Amino acid sequence: MGSRKGFFTDTTLCIGCKACEVACKQWNQLPDDGFHFTGMSYDQTAHLGASTWRHVAFVERPVPLQGQASGAGDFSWLMMSDVCKHCQRAGCLEACPTGAIVRTEFDTVYVQPDVCNGCGYCVSACPFGVIDRREDDGRAWKCTLCYDRIGDDQTPACAKACPTASIQYGDLDELHARAETRVRDLHQRGVTDAYLYGKDAENQPGTGGLNAFFLLLDKPEVYNLPPDPVVPTKKAARSWASVAMGAVGMVAVAVGAVVLGREG
Amino acid sequence: MSDDTLLDRLQRKTDGRNIDSRAGILEGEGSQQRVKDPEPARHGMDVLSTVPSRSGPDSAEAPSYYGMPVLKEPLWIWTVPAYFYVGGVAGAASVLGVALESFGGRRLERLAERCHTVATAGDIVSAGLLIHDLGRPSRFLNMLRVFRPTSPMSVGSWVLAGSGAVNSAAWVLRRRPGVLGTLGRVAGRMGALLGLPLAGYTAVLVSNTAVPLWQQVGRTLPLFFMSSATASAGSLLSLFPHSKAEERVLRRFRIAGKVAELFTREAVELEARQVAEVGRPLRTGASGALWMLSRTCSMAGLVVDVLPGRSRWKQVTADVLSTVGAVAARYGIIQAGKASARNPQATFQGQRQGLGAAQVDGNTTASDGKPLSFPLPVLGQGAARTAPRPEAPYARFMVTQPEP
Repeated sequence: MGSRKGFFTDTTLCIGCKACEVACKQWNQLPDDGFHFTGMSYDQTAHLGASTWRHVAFVERPVPLQGQASGAGDFSWLMMSDVCKHCQRAGCLEACPTGAIVRTEFDTVYVQPDVCNGCGYCVSACPFGVIDRREDDGRAWKCTLCYDRIGDDQTPACAKACPTASIQYGDLDELHARAETRVRDLHQRGVTDAYLYGKDAENQPGTGGLNAFFLLLDKPEVYNLPPDPVVPTKKAARSWASVAMGAVGMVAVAVGAVVLGREG
Repeated sequence: MSDDTLLDRLQRKTDGRNIDSRAGILEGEGSQQRVKDPEPARHGMDVLSTVPSRSGPDSAEAPSYYGMPVLKEPLWIWTVPAYFYVGGVAGAASVLGVALESFGGRRLERLAERCHTVATAGDIVSAGLLIHDLGRPSRFLNMLRVFRPTSPMSVGSWVLAGSGAVNSAAWVLRRRPGVLGTLGRVAGRMGALLGLPLAGYTAVLVSNTAVPLWQQVGRTLPLFFMSSATASAGSLLSLFPHSKAEERVLRRFRIAGKVAELFTREAVELEARQVAEVGRPLRTGASGALWMLSRTCSMAGLVVDVLPGRSRWKQVTADVLSTVGAVAARYGIIQAGKASARNPQATFQGQRQGLGAAQVDGNTTASDGKPLSFPLPVLGQGAARTAPRPEAPYARFMVTQPEP
């Protein structure tokens, strides 16, 4: 036990069946999100949230899929099962003031519900907009990568339920090799749009790479993924430097006001 | 279930996923979760202006996922910007208090005392405002469970708790004779030392988030918050009745703060404007109106203050204007951040212009010395170097280059 685990989500294989969403909700006992109709696609849950830890995005594009002709004209669907990325440098973890968010022995990011304080700082600190606060008690929840299952050598519920192996779970090194092979294979078959999103620190320096990475066919933006996310902590040093500068100024103003303002 | 062990019962309380295996009923913590509004009232059929299947990626230049936000909106309620103001006043007042104590002499002793009172009261009110946001008093104590330097929220909790403690101690002990009095004065100095970060860390708190506007103004916002804290503390102290000698000090203190506020506000605007979409909430909508109100009031406060004449009503007008300006600035910044988090293009465009990870580390080359092909974003550099071939429009996002 204890090797680095993660997800490789190959969106070229996703058929949008939402088995992952349902399996996740069942295993983790998450409630439904209400039966809304978003009116823009078959995407009903719309985004990841406190009660949605897997979310299938339906990208409808006015262009055909690369290398394919379809009867529907200039149209193609891209489906992508989104999930918490379990970043190597996780914004939520670094922001959490109570230590409720921890890195597990599987190198995943886990929120301890009994420690979470409900301050909501992690919610703003996630550059992917994944973690969210529960409405009833204000605590933050997100994908645990089925921490309770993988400890027992079981596959996470979503990967187990995926009928097309679009969601693959395993050791990160093995997943990386598998993903590289898949991209090379796709390129050879003419799908040169395929690329890996967030595989490692080189591909996504801002987060040090993702434990849950993706094979995509279009710009990250169309899947609602940021193109060049950065863990906010990386930019914090200069803010603290400004505070130090401000402190010097404030002391100067206070002392100056007193020295120049006193009489005699 | 009657045959549960104590361990079963303890686990059921905390782990969040339990099932009564005989009845098949979910009874864990997760299952208690309910969405607040499962089915909002429908008001007629919306008529879409575009064919739904064509309304996905907006355009080749500015694609998005049906215009949905990437980020989650910040959740802080009204007490948090109020705390930004009160905490700033408390911090600046404690600094002025110690400066008066050290250099002011006997005639300014009463003003120093007043500064310390304002600082102590400010700390207590601040804690109350934060507890209101968290929901339960025990949650403020829970914030002190660990100290985590990467989290400005954690640093700030310790700063606020520490400054509240030492300022209260100083307030009680300062007048006592002997050792206790000395201890009180030392505590007062520590309060001033903690007051400096107390006035400025709130800006780090907001800029250390993924919210595009807040992240972008990370350099200038601390300076703005701290000069605004100086101006607000000066204005608030001037509202209390004070003597002529005290007025000489207060006037210098608050006018320096107001002038600094004026300049740093412009710096914040300039920094926000680097990316059009990111700076927009400071100019439009409710947040723009608040920001404009704040700017107008602060400027008017400064102008009225420096006008010739020493009448009391003029002084009060200036102080009230400055206070309104400072409070509105806090609310404006929070509202603008929320608006920029709702706009996916604010997130995307900043990063596409190299203000994401590429900006932080100068990430333009990979570890093997080759230029990064992804995520580089950097329009004008990366894009021009690897012009996309017509048959592979997204080639520049590729990790593995296509076989030649």
